[in-house]
Amino acid sequence: MLKFIPIKAQAGIIGFESPAAEYTQLGLNLDQLLIDHPAATYIGIAQGESMTGDGIFSGDLLIVDRAQSIKNYDVVVANLNGVFVCKKIDKTEKCLRSSSHGAAPYYLKEGDEFQIEGVVTRSIRLHRPFKKKL
Amino acid sequence: MVLTNNDGCICAACGIAKKLGIGKKFLPYFQVKKELEAAGAVIRSSNYELYADLSQRMMDTCARFAPDINVYSIDECFLYYGKQSAAPKKGWETLGMQIRKAVWREVRLPICVGIGATPTLAKVANHAAKKIQGFKGVAVLDTTIIRKSVLSKMAVTDVWGIGNRLGKRLNALGVNTAWELANRNPTQIRKEFSILVENTVRELNGEVRHSWDTVRAAKKEIYSTRSFGERITDFEELRSALASHAEIVATKLRKQKSLTSSMTLFATSSPHDTEGYFRQSYFNHFTVPTNDTRNIIKVIGNAMSQLYKPNVRYYRCGVGLMGLHNEALFQYDLFTPSNDNTKLMACMDTINARYGRSTVHIAAKGFEQKFAMRRAFLSPQYTTKWSDIPKIIC
Repeated sequence: MLKFIPIKAQAGIIGFESPAAEYTQLGLNLDQLLIDHPAATYIGIAQGESMTGDGIFSGDLLIVDRAQSIKNYDVVVANLNGVFVCKKIDKTEKCLRSSSHGAAPYYLKEGDEFQIEGVVTRSIRLHRPFKKKL
Repeated sequence: MVLTNNDGCICAACGIAKKLGIGKKFLPYFQVKKELEAAGAVIRSSNYELYADLSQRMMDTCARFAPDINVYSIDECFLYYGKQSAAPKKGWETLGMQIRKAVWREVRLPICVGIGATPTLAKVANHAAKKIQGFKGVAVLDTTIIRKSVLSKMAVTDVWGIGNRLGKRLNALGVNTAWELANRNPTQIRKEFSILVENTVRELNGEVRHSWDTVRAAKKEIYSTRSFGERITDFEELRSALASHAEIVATKLRKQKSLTSSMTLFATSSPHDTEGYFRQSYFNHFTVPTNDTRNIIKVIGNAMSQLYKPNVRYYRCGVGLMGLHNEALFQYDLFTPSNDNTKLMACMDTINARYGRSTVHIAAKGFEQKFAMRRAFLSPQYTTKWSDIPKIIC
C-alpha cells in the first residue's frame, strides 16, 4: 500500500510573514479593563446632578462593584428607602454626601431603610449619545 | 408571587403568601386572581433572563470557594474539596458562613450551605440549614451526634432520591425518618428496593456512592412545550410553533450528545375553554436515530394532518424526544446509513451559541413569533437588558 508523507507544497519564494500574525488574538476588551469582579458587578444609569464634583453627570453609566470593600468617602450606590442613590459615604458622621455645590448631606435617621449596594468603581460619560436606543 | 410560563399557574410564593394560605403551588392563576388582589399580593411573571443571569453569578461566586464545582440545577451546586479532605484551617462552619455571606453581598441571594461527607449528606445538611431551627443557614454534619440529631428530625421523603412512592413503601416497613433509613441493612434494602436506595443508605452513613460531579441525572427525555400567548387557529401558525419546539429539543439533544429514536408531538385546546376539549398527539419512530434538526422538523409535516383540525382554538403544543442513545456509542445499521449532517448542525450550533439563539434556524419555524410567552407582570431584566438597567439617583 502506498504511504503518503504529508509535506506541504512549497515554492520557496515566500515573502516575510506579517510581524503582526501572532498577535491577531489580542483584541481590546472593555469588560476586562473596567470590571474587576464580573460576578459581582452591576451597571446602572445616573440621574441627577448632585455628584458632578466627582465627575458624575446625569446620563452617565455607573459600574458598581459589590465585592469591593467600602472605605470612608467612597462613591457608593446605596439602597435608601427603596431607591438607588449614588453618594459619597461618610462613615464617621453617618451621612451621605453629595459633591456638587450647595447640596446638603443626608443624615441617616432611625427608620431609614439603608443598605450599601456597592462601590462605584468607574463611571462612563457619553459625550455623544448612543445612536441606538437602549 | 411568581407565575409559570404564560402567566398560567402559581409557581412560587413568598413566606407571607404561604402563611396566608394563598400561595398554593400550581393553582391556575385566574382561579385565585381575585383572592390575590384582595390580599394585595404582588404578582410577577417568570423572568428567565434575570434568573439565568443571577444563577450564573451565584455559581461564579460559589466556585471561588472550592477547587471544583458541579452545577446541579439553576439554584443548587455542589462544591468538592477532595476525598477525605481535612477541614480547612478556619473550620467548615466558617467556610460555609463565608460562602453564604459572599453570595448575599455580591448577588443579594439568600442561600443555605450544607456540608457533609457524601453528596447525600451534603443535601441532608442543606435541608437542615434551611429547615431546622438553630442552624442559621449553615449546617455541618461532621460528628455522629449532629448527623443523628439531624437525620432523626428529617422525614424519609426529604432524603435526596426518596420520592413519595418509595416513601410510602418505606413507611410501611416502619421507616419514617431519615435516621431509621440510615440504620437499615444496605444489602437487605437492595433486595427489597434497588441499588439506588442501597446507595442512599450507604451515603447516609458516610460512604461515598455517588460520583460527586455526575449527580445530575442524564435526561432520558427532552421536552419543549408551551401554551400560546393567544389561542391560535391557523394551520401555519401551529406548524411553525411545533417547528420552533422541534428546534429547541434538537439543540438540547445535540448538546447532551445524544440521538433520538422516537418523537412525540401534541396539540391541545384549553381544558378551561368552553368549547369541547381537543387533544391530539402524534408519535414518530425514527428508523435511524438522529439528532439532525432537519430530520426532526420533517416529522411535523406528517404530524400536522393529525394534529390540525379547523376551528379548534389551540392553547398548547409541544414536542418530546424519547428513546435517547449516546451518540458516541451508537451502532449504526450497515444498510440504513444515517443522513445526519453533523458538520452543518455543529456549524449552526456554534453560530447560535455565539450570536444568540435562532440566529440561523430552519425556515419552517417561520419568522414572526406570535407565540412568544405572555408575561404581563414581568419585572425588569436589570442585569441583562440595557434598557432595563437600574436608575441611580444622584
